[in-house]
Amino acid sequence: MKKKLKVLMIDDHPMIIEGYKNTLLGENQKEYQIKIDIASNCDDAYASIVKSSESIPYDMLFVDIKLPPSSDGSITSGEDLAKHAKELLPKSKIIILTMHREDHRIHNILKNINPSGFLIKSDLTSSELLLAFNNIIKGKAYYSATVNDHFRKMMTNKFSLDEKNLKILYHLSRGVKTKNLPNYVSLSLSAIEKRKNQIKEMFSIAKADDQMLLEEARKRGFI
Amino acid sequence: MLKTLYRLVIVLLLMAGCDTNNKPIESKKLKTNLINSYIKKAKDTNNTIEDRKENLDKAYSINATLDDDSFKIQKLREISFRYYHLKDHDRYKGLNEKALKLAKTISDSLEMAESYTYLGIYYRKSKSELDLALQNFHEADKIYKSLDPKKYEPKDYLFDHGKTLIDIARIQQKAKDYTESEATTIKAIKKFELAENNQYLPLCYTNLGIVAKYLENYDKAIEYHLKAIEYSKGTDKEILQTLTSYNNIGTVYKSQKEYNKAKEYYHKGLSYKEFLDKNPRRNARLIDNLAYVNFLSKDMTEIPDLFYKALKIRDSIDDKYGMATNTLHLAEYYHSVGKDSIAQQYAEQSRDISLDLKNNEELLKAYQLLSEVSNSDTGLQYANTYIQLNDSLIKEERLFRDKFARIKFETEEIVEKNQQISKENQILIITILGLTALFLLGYIIFKQQQSNKELLFAQTQQESNEEIYRLLLNQQVKLEEGRQMEQQRMSEELHDGVLGRLFGVRLSLDGINQRANDGFTEARNKYIDELKAIEKEIRLISHDLGAETLPSDVAYIDAVENMIKDLCGVHNLDFEFNNAEEIDWEEIDDQKKVNFFRILQESMQNIFKHAQASTIKINFDFVDDTINLTILDDGIGFKTNKVKKGIGLKNITSRVNQMNGEVQFLSNENSGTTVSVRVPIPSRVEELYEE
Repeated sequence: MKKKLKVLMIDDHPMIIEGYKNTLLGENQKEYQIKIDIASNCDDAYASIVKSSESIPYDMLFVDIKLPPSSDGSITSGEDLAKHAKELLPKSKIIILTMHREDHRIHNILKNINPSGFLIKSDLTSSELLLAFNNIIKGKAYYSATVNDHFRKMMTNKFSLDEKNLKILYHLSRGVKTKNLPNYVSLSLSAIEKRKNQIKEMFSIAKADDQMLLEEARKRGFI
Repeated sequence: MLKTLYRLVIVLLLMAGCDTNNKPIESKKLKTNLINSYIKKAKDTNNTIEDRKENLDKAYSINATLDDDSFKIQKLREISFRYYHLKDHDRYKGLNEKALKLAKTISDSLEMAESYTYLGIYYRKSKSELDLALQNFHEADKIYKSLDPKKYEPKDYLFDHGKTLIDIARIQQKAKDYTESEATTIKAIKKFELAENNQYLPLCYTNLGIVAKYLENYDKAIEYHLKAIEYSKGTDKEILQTLTSYNNIGTVYKSQKEYNKAKEYYHKGLSYKEFLDKNPRRNARLIDNLAYVNFLSKDMTEIPDLFYKALKIRDSIDDKYGMATNTLHLAEYYHSVGKDSIAQQYAEQSRDISLDLKNNEELLKAYQLLSEVSNSDTGLQYANTYIQLNDSLIKEERLFRDKFARIKFETEEIVEKNQQISKENQILIITILGLTALFLLGYIIFKQQQSNKELLFAQTQQESNEEIYRLLLNQQVKLEEGRQMEQQRMSEELHDGVLGRLFGVRLSLDGINQRANDGFTEARNKYIDELKAIEKEIRLISHDLGAETLPSDVAYIDAVENMIKDLCGVHNLDFEFNNAEEIDWEEIDDQKKVNFFRILQESMQNIFKHAQASTIKINFDFVDDTINLTILDDGIGFKTNKVKKGIGLKNITSRVNQMNGEVQFLSNENSGTTVSVRVPIPSRVEELYEE
C-alpha cells in the first residue's frame, strides 16, 4: 500500500511542472502515491493553500520564486507565498526551486523561510530532485550544492555580511554605480557609502577603491 | 701752334681789360665792392652833380647784373636814395618801382613794404599826389601788420613800420585829418618804443604838437613840443629840433594870442645865431614870425624893418614859400597903417608867388587881403575869386578826406578780412578738431559695440555648442536607455521564459530517461547534460544582458572615446584611453565636460599638426577630488620656453582657468609632449557620512 501524498507545485511554466511530474511519477518512485495540484500564479497558489489548510493540508509545496504576482498585489513572489504557507500549513514541507543563484537571494530565502528544501534549478537533475524529495519527505532537509556552498562560505568567514551588504556588493559587481545603488538597495546613498566603508574596514582595505573592494569580495566568496 | 695763338689772344684780351679799367666782374663780392665805391663817389659833394649821377648810373648797371635777392633790392634802394639827394626824383621813383617789382617776384614782404614806403616818400612831395603817397604808405603798413612774427624778427621791421606810420600821420595832418593823424602818431611812437629806437620820436612829438594846436589843445601842444626837444637831446639834430620846436611853440602861443610868450620863444630860437647863420631859411622864418607877432601885439618898434630883414634873407635864398608869407605879412601891415596901395602891391606879389607854388592857403589869404585893399570894383572881383577859391579848397579838402577815408577803409577792411580769415581758420580748426573727436568717439563706440557683439557672439556660440553637446549626450543617453531596456527585456525573457522551459524539458527528459531501460540511457544522459550546459550558457548570457553593463553616464566618456577614436583614425595614430571609474561624469556640470572635450580636441590637433607622434595616451584620473587629464604623445616635442603660446595653447589655458584648474605643458625636444590638466571637483564628503 503506497503512502498517499498531497503536493502543490507552483510554477508559471507548465513545462517545468511537467518535468517535476515526470520525475516524481516515474518508475523510480514506488513508495508513494502522489496527488499533484498545480498553480501557475500567486492567486491560484494562495487559494489552493488556503483551501488545503481548511481541509487536508499539503504534505509538500514546490515553490518557484519568480511568479506572476497576485491580482491585489499583496503577494509578489514565491517568497511571499512560502511565508503564508508556513503560517497556514505549518506542517507542510516547503521546497524552493529557483533559477536565482545569487548569494544575497539565497541568503535571504534561507533567512526568511528556512525551507526544507532549496534547489537551484540550473543545478537540478531528475535524480537530484528525486533524492531531495525522498529526503525531505522523511524529514531531512535538502539543499543544492550551490546553497550548501553558500552555507560554507558563511561559515568560513569569521564574520557574515547581512543581506544588504551582500546586495551592495552584488550590485556593485554588476557595474552599478554607488550613486545608483539606492535604486537597487532600499537605503539612502549616505547609508550605502557608510556600509561600503564598513565592508572595506572588515576586509582590512579601508582606503581601497571600489575595484579593490570587489576583488576582495570575490576572493572571499561574497560574490 | 694753334694753342699758343689761343693763349696769346686771351692774354691780350686780359691786358686790354686792364687798360680800360673794365675788368670782367664775376664774383658778387667784387660787384658789391664796386657798387659801394660808386655810391661813395656819388656821395662825394666835391664832385659835380653830373659826375655823381654818372657814378650812380654805373652802380645801377652793375647792380642789375646781380642775382635777384634781398641784397640787390637793398642796394637798389640805396642808389635810389642817392638820386633823391641829387633831386633826380623821377629816377628815384623808377628805381623804387623796380625794387618793388623785384621784391614781389622773390616774395620778400619786408622789401616790399620798404619799397612802398620809399615810393610814398616820392609822392609825398607833391601836394596833389598826397593820396598816392598815402596809398603807398598804407600798403607798407598793411604788409608790416600782416607779417608773421615767426618768420620775421619783429625788431627788424618795427622801426621801419614806425617810420611808415609817422609818414602817414604827417600826411593826415597835412590833409587836416587831425584826430586820425594823432592816433597814427601814437601808433608810430609805440612801434619806435618797441624797436627801442628814439631817432624819430622828436618828429613824432612835433607832429603831435602841431595836431594838438589845430585841435586847439594848446597846453598839450606846448607839452609835446617840449617833449620833442627832450627826445632830441644828445643827438646831432638837437639844435635843429630845438629851433623847430621853439618856433612851433611860438606859433602855438600866437594862436592863443599870448604874444609875449610867443615873442619869448621866437627870441629863444633866434639866440642860436651861429646855427641860424648857416640856416638862413629858418632864420628868416623866425624873424618873420617874430615880426608878425610884434605887429599883432601892436609892438611897432621894429616894424616893418624885421619883415624886410626876413624878406631880404628869403629873397637871397629864393625861398618862395617864405616870400609868399612874408609879402602877405607886409601887405597886412601896410593895410593896417592905411597904405592900401603898398599893401595891394605886396598882396599881389604874394598872390603871384602862391599861384606859382599852388600854395592855396596863402593864396586865399592874399585874395582876402586884396579884396579889402583894392577899390570897390576890383575888391568885389577879388572877393568873388576868394569865395570861389575857398569853395574849391573846401571841396578839395573834402575830396581829399574822402580819398583818405577810402584808403583807410580799404586797409581796415583788409585787416578785418585777415581777422575774419583767422577767425574762420580758427572756426575751421575747431570744427575739424571737433569732427575728429566726434569721429574718434564714434569709432571707439563702434569698436566697443563690435567687440561686445563679438563677445556676445562667442558667448552664444559657446552656449549653442553646449546645447548641441547636451542634445548629443541626451541622444546617446536615450539610445543607451533604449538599448538597456531591450537588453533587460531579453535577459528576463531568456531567464524566466526560455530557461524555465528548457529546464522543464530537461527535467522531463531526465525523468523519462530514468525510467527507460533500452540501453540508451547513457547517451541520453549525455544530451541532457548538454542541455544543462546550454541552460548555463543562456543563464550567463541573460545575466550579462541584465547586468547594468553600460551605466547611463558612460555616454560622455563614450562620446569622448568616439571622438578620440575618430580623430586618431583619420590621422593614423594609435591611442590608449583610460577613464577612472571613480569619476562620476553625470555629476560633473556640462560646462566642464565641454571644456574637457575641447581641450582634448585642441591638444590632439596640436599633436597631429606638430608632434609627428605615432601614439597618444590619454588618461582621466581621479585623485583627491581632482580630475587629472593627461595627454601624452611620443612625438618630437618642443622647447616649452621657446615656443610662443599659439592660439591652441591659449585656448587650453583659458578653458582650464575657467574651471579653476591648472595646466602644464611638459616637453623636451625629441621626448614627446605631456599636457596635464588638473581640475578640482567639489566633493560631497560631508554628505557621505550622515545616515
